[in-house]
Amino acid sequence: MASGASKGSTGRRAWTVLTRAVVTLLMVAVVNFTLFRIIPGDPASLLLAGARGSMTSEQLEVQRQNWGLDKPLFPDQILAYMSTTLQGDLGYSFKFRGRRVADLICERLPATVVLIGLAQLIAIVFGVVLGIYAGWRRGGAIDHVSTATSLALYSTPPFWLGMILVMIFSTGLGWLPGYGAYSPSFASVGLVDWIADRISHLVLPASTLALGLIGQYVLVARAAMSDVVTEDYMVTARAKGLTGRQMLMRHAFRNSMLPVVTLIALNLGYVVAGAITVESVFAWPGIGGLTVDALNARDYPTLQGIFLLLGVSIVGVNLLADITYGFLDPRVRQ
Amino acid sequence: MNESSAASRWRVRARAINAFLSQFLHHGGAQLGLFFMVIFLVLAAAPDTLVGPLETVATATGDFLSPPQRQHVLGTDEVGRDVLNLVVHGARISLTIAFLATVISLIVGTTVGMTSGYYGGKVDVWLMRLTDFFFVLPSFVLALVITPVVLEVIGRGRDILGFRPSLFVIILVIGLTSWAFVARIVRSQTLSLRERQFVERARVVGTNDLNIMLRHILPNLVPQVAANSALVVAGAIYTETALSFLGLGDPLQPSWGTLLSLAQRAGAASSGAWWYLGAPGVCVLTVSLGFVLIGNALDDTFNPRRRAIP
Repeated sequence: MASGASKGSTGRRAWTVLTRAVVTLLMVAVVNFTLFRIIPGDPASLLLAGARGSMTSEQLEVQRQNWGLDKPLFPDQILAYMSTTLQGDLGYSFKFRGRRVADLICERLPATVVLIGLAQLIAIVFGVVLGIYAGWRRGGAIDHVSTATSLALYSTPPFWLGMILVMIFSTGLGWLPGYGAYSPSFASVGLVDWIADRISHLVLPASTLALGLIGQYVLVARAAMSDVVTEDYMVTARAKGLTGRQMLMRHAFRNSMLPVVTLIALNLGYVVAGAITVESVFAWPGIGGLTVDALNARDYPTLQGIFLLLGVSIVGVNLLADITYGFLDPRVRQ
Repeated sequence: MNESSAASRWRVRARAINAFLSQFLHHGGAQLGLFFMVIFLVLAAAPDTLVGPLETVATATGDFLSPPQRQHVLGTDEVGRDVLNLVVHGARISLTIAFLATVISLIVGTTVGMTSGYYGGKVDVWLMRLTDFFFVLPSFVLALVITPVVLEVIGRGRDILGFRPSLFVIILVIGLTSWAFVARIVRSQTLSLRERQFVERARVVGTNDLNIMLRHILPNLVPQVAANSALVVAGAIYTETALSFLGLGDPLQPSWGTLLSLAQRAGAASSGAWWYLGAPGVCVLTVSLGFVLIGNALDDTFNPRRRAIP
């Protein structure tokens, strides 16, 4: 968390926040460019023809020219890389028979967004409510139980939790499907069944991810709340004769939300890490599954594309959080 | 006169350390955390005497995926290796990776944070942009793209000090990608230390910058760094487990993450092999919980108003 309060105007703060994001993104691009060119062997053959014969010679030639692979690394190649990347050209995959990396990612993205979005939603609602309550009634039975559980969840690798849930609810009890996003046999059935099938496939992976996140939200919301409770304005509120409920809603809640907002953004990295491993456990057809396939096949162009996507989205969300934070807390803006 | 003042200074310090220890050891979380840590350190220190040499496919004696029984207290895996044997040896690998990675990340984080905070100005701006990059992109995501490339570059052959090179790749990658958190804390602490009188005095006397940083600022950073290092260890264990689970670990020197990856590939969850799945997972859970508790307790003791868990 930024310690020194920025004293500049709103414009200056926005400018700082924005340049930071741009610098970080540039670094993502540079890492992405250099990393995949230090692999031994001719970059052209590695980046383009990992699986020889999987790409037509025209595709290969087009890419060779686009990326300027016959020219010096700096500045020609890096500029070529930047400009083609900005145009949405991420090259061709080795593993998937020369398909465009951008297309592969677009295909897999919706499944991941649905999974992460649902998990975040569940985790925020439950985690924040529980954490606020625990902090408000600090030292009570619910506080002790929820803090202990949260610490345990915080220390559990999410993919392991997923494997345990599959073993219990899918293998053991047979209540829910343990892998995939839908049952192939449901392709031709009615809409209601189709929806029910999709939902039943979402339950286990989404709750796995959500459980991993709830622990964090509970701990942060609780810590924020217990700080707020001791503030002077809470004493004033009590002196004014507000009831406990009014104090909680009017003063405590809003103020304890600030750290939670920051966490939600910082958490995206954690969610992504969790999602990649959890998707792998559940054979979920999202970016995580694609990453694992690409890793196993050492499909560098695809890995490169995924890294770029992750980098851009993480930086973007953090930028958004910085802006939101300014709106929530006028002291940051002033 | 001089001797007695040195002795009294030493006494003051000893009293402070005693007070700290008694407060720390009375912390319920710290006790539980230390308990977990000691157990696993013992396992990691002497795996051979406890469960014999690491079993391989060739030396495996058990049935395939057999549940716990007298001969194999934690059952066997899909090629008949004893799970207890694997998990105890895994402790050594997992903890070695986590500790060495933490040492690297503490060194890099402290250096960057201290330099940035001490010099300020342009140095600070650039180092902090660098830190931002590592802070925003989680170490797991960075490690995920760096590890396979580095593995490709250096290859998997030979071994260094009894460990295979791929282990060092994981250690280096985790260490070099997880220091940002430390750097930020050290920087903010340095900013306030820089303005203190003892630093001012050292500067007036003519001590050079390096000496001021090493002899006057660094010792005062120890509490903050110590409290957060336990959390860095927990993070390193997490990153290592996730990377190995995705198949970037070394199958010949299995960490807990690699064991979980093998369990997943063997279909442990869908065949109900709870012992194979449970053993390495419970180890990861208790070790990282232990470090999180210790980190929290250290933070509570040093700095009761601020909590370390983000």
